[in-house]
Amino acid sequence: MTHERLVTVMRLILIIDDEDDIREVAALSLEATAGWEIITASSGPDGIQAAANPKRKPHAILMDVMMPGMDGPTTFRQMQQNPEIAGIPVLLLTAKVQGVDQRRFADLGVAGVLFKPFDPLTLAAQISQALGWKD
Amino acid sequence: MTSLPSILVGMLLLSIFLLGALTLRLAAKARQQHRSIEQLNEALKRSREYAEQQQTKLALRSDLDSVKDEFISTVSHELRTPLTSIRGALGLLSAGLLGNVDAKAQNLLRIASSNTERLIRLINDILDLERMESGRAALKLRRCSIQDLAREAVDTMAPMAEGVGIHLELICNAPRETIYFDADPDRILQVITNLLSNAIKFSPAGTTVSVQIDSDTNSVLLKVVDHGRGIPADKLEVVFGRFQQVEASDASKKGGTGLGLAICRSIIQQHGGAIWAQPNVSGLGTTLWVQLSRSARASDTALPSLIGAPGERGEGLILVCDDDAGIREVVAEQLRQHGYDILQAGSGEEVLAIAGEQAAKARSKASVHPVSAILLDLYMPGLSGWETLQRLKESPATKAIPVVILSVIPSSDRTLLASEAQGWVQKPFNENLLLAELGRVLRAKGMPGHILLVEQDQELAKEILAGFREAGVPMDHASTLQQAVDRCLLGPPDLLILDVMLPDGDGFSLVDWLRRQPGLHALPLVVYSSREISQAEMARLRLGPTHFFDKAKVKPREVEERVLTMVSRLRNNSPAAIVA
Repeated sequence: MTHERLVTVMRLILIIDDEDDIREVAALSLEATAGWEIITASSGPDGIQAAANPKRKPHAILMDVMMPGMDGPTTFRQMQQNPEIAGIPVLLLTAKVQGVDQRRFADLGVAGVLFKPFDPLTLAAQISQALGWKD
Repeated sequence: MTSLPSILVGMLLLSIFLLGALTLRLAAKARQQHRSIEQLNEALKRSREYAEQQQTKLALRSDLDSVKDEFISTVSHELRTPLTSIRGALGLLSAGLLGNVDAKAQNLLRIASSNTERLIRLINDILDLERMESGRAALKLRRCSIQDLAREAVDTMAPMAEGVGIHLELICNAPRETIYFDADPDRILQVITNLLSNAIKFSPAGTTVSVQIDSDTNSVLLKVVDHGRGIPADKLEVVFGRFQQVEASDASKKGGTGLGLAICRSIIQQHGGAIWAQPNVSGLGTTLWVQLSRSARASDTALPSLIGAPGERGEGLILVCDDDAGIREVVAEQLRQHGYDILQAGSGEEVLAIAGEQAAKARSKASVHPVSAILLDLYMPGLSGWETLQRLKESPATKAIPVVILSVIPSSDRTLLASEAQGWVQKPFNENLLLAELGRVLRAKGMPGHILLVEQDQELAKEILAGFREAGVPMDHASTLQQAVDRCLLGPPDLLILDVMLPDGDGFSLVDWLRRQPGLHALPLVVYSSREISQAEMARLRLGPTHFFDKAKVKPREVEERVLTMVSRLRNNSPAAIVA
């Protein structure tokens, strides 16, 4: 990578999405634009397991809504049951834009909702803004 | 001489005969009553069956709606998912974040990127339009200022305009107290922004795009005027269709989706307003007009003078006609709650019968009121709404009853609106818009004709205006051609007094323009001019019933008398009778 990064705060982000391509693009985007470190998981249960690793506890979780098996909202509710993970802010990433869906997600108690297709150049900024990160 | 017994026998026979006749009549009456009861039972059964059918139909419709909703939502999700990967990959590559790419590859990446963005906009627009047209995107109405919304839109679009060297300006001609209106601010902002974006896209660098605001007691009017290449006359209406652009190549060149104006029209119509395009009077560029009613609901802000706030109690007997019993009942209940008395009709035939009958009863009995207004559906089995409307207007007993169309058809068909029906509410309707429109129509009923004076001489205009004010006839004044056009579009007058000489054109261009306007082409006209008018010119100035007066020979007072006679005929008869 040729770009120099001025970012000094190290962030660890967990991306949970069943689409390999989206995980890769999102990870590249956050690494390249913000210099964050990324771990990924391709399903809800894998995501819970990754988040519960005490040695690599993520600062935030970016999670898809529609996933086969356990979907985003269900995974989120299970995370809330686990005191190890419950404190980690979760952002849902959705391809649905209907107002009804948005309200439903907000009612869940997630930290925010971001929309697909996201802009790879501003995704990190959107996450920072939603979580109130100043760096 | 007849003997007593024979008289007695005669009387007895007569009694028997009378008794027999009476018995027969009673029996016949009983049979008749039995028949009517049977008929009533039959009618009751039929209406119960009908109501059940309608219930099923409604349930089916709502099932279909939710299936369609689900489908659209799924499709848009399925399309967005691969687009997320494409957009992400292209975005990162073309930004050079993953290493530099050479110029040729960079150009290809730019093309792929910008077309991805276009595809995303397209999907968003389709979804938007579908939700609005299905009537499921509810408006969040509140009191807003048209000036503030226009300012916000201009600020939003300023960077785009600056980038291509176009100057944006905002002109507010509306008095402070009439810039407030009821609307969903986000939606109206979307419309103004979209109109500005179009105007900027199709204007050459160095020109000005101007947003102008006008208003009167009942409506706000917003114009976006550009000096671009203009829209050909045959495309003025077409551009509001889906995927319709003036040039087939516009979508790819200008990056639009071809749905922008369709969405704008959808939003404006949902607000009960109108939007249309017109070439500028100068011949260069286009003006997009948006007209919105100011009072869509009871005012909850400090504007007590707001005329026509449906918060006020309604009064009058309203005949509600729709072949769908469910809709009819909903409308009836809403109107009842606002103080109206209701009659219902399930067909055009019933409307004619009930309105006629009610008029006849009202003539003979002071306690019975005639129908004050009719709410009429257009698509009905049997006599259609259009035919019903025509028959109502043909009958002397019912032609004065104002009719408000309640239809899925948008009010953009202004020909019908202006010529026969007095009001229009689009289904699925908003209760407040329905009440506002009904209130407006009921208030307008029986009001003296509305006159527009087009006169550049301010002194003379003052004199004429004063005369009509004394006579209690409302009159508007326009001193330029442009003002006259604006006035006509804000609210068509019932009669026009016209000076041929105008500072920015002449009376001929105004008449030419009026002739092309549906609903205005047959306007009664009084030409009051200081200049000799030849026979040939008279032919060019003729509109509806037309009279010519020479300023040198006829005093304003006399013109006023003639016009007042025309107005009173207009009030009592159809416009055609004015010539007599």
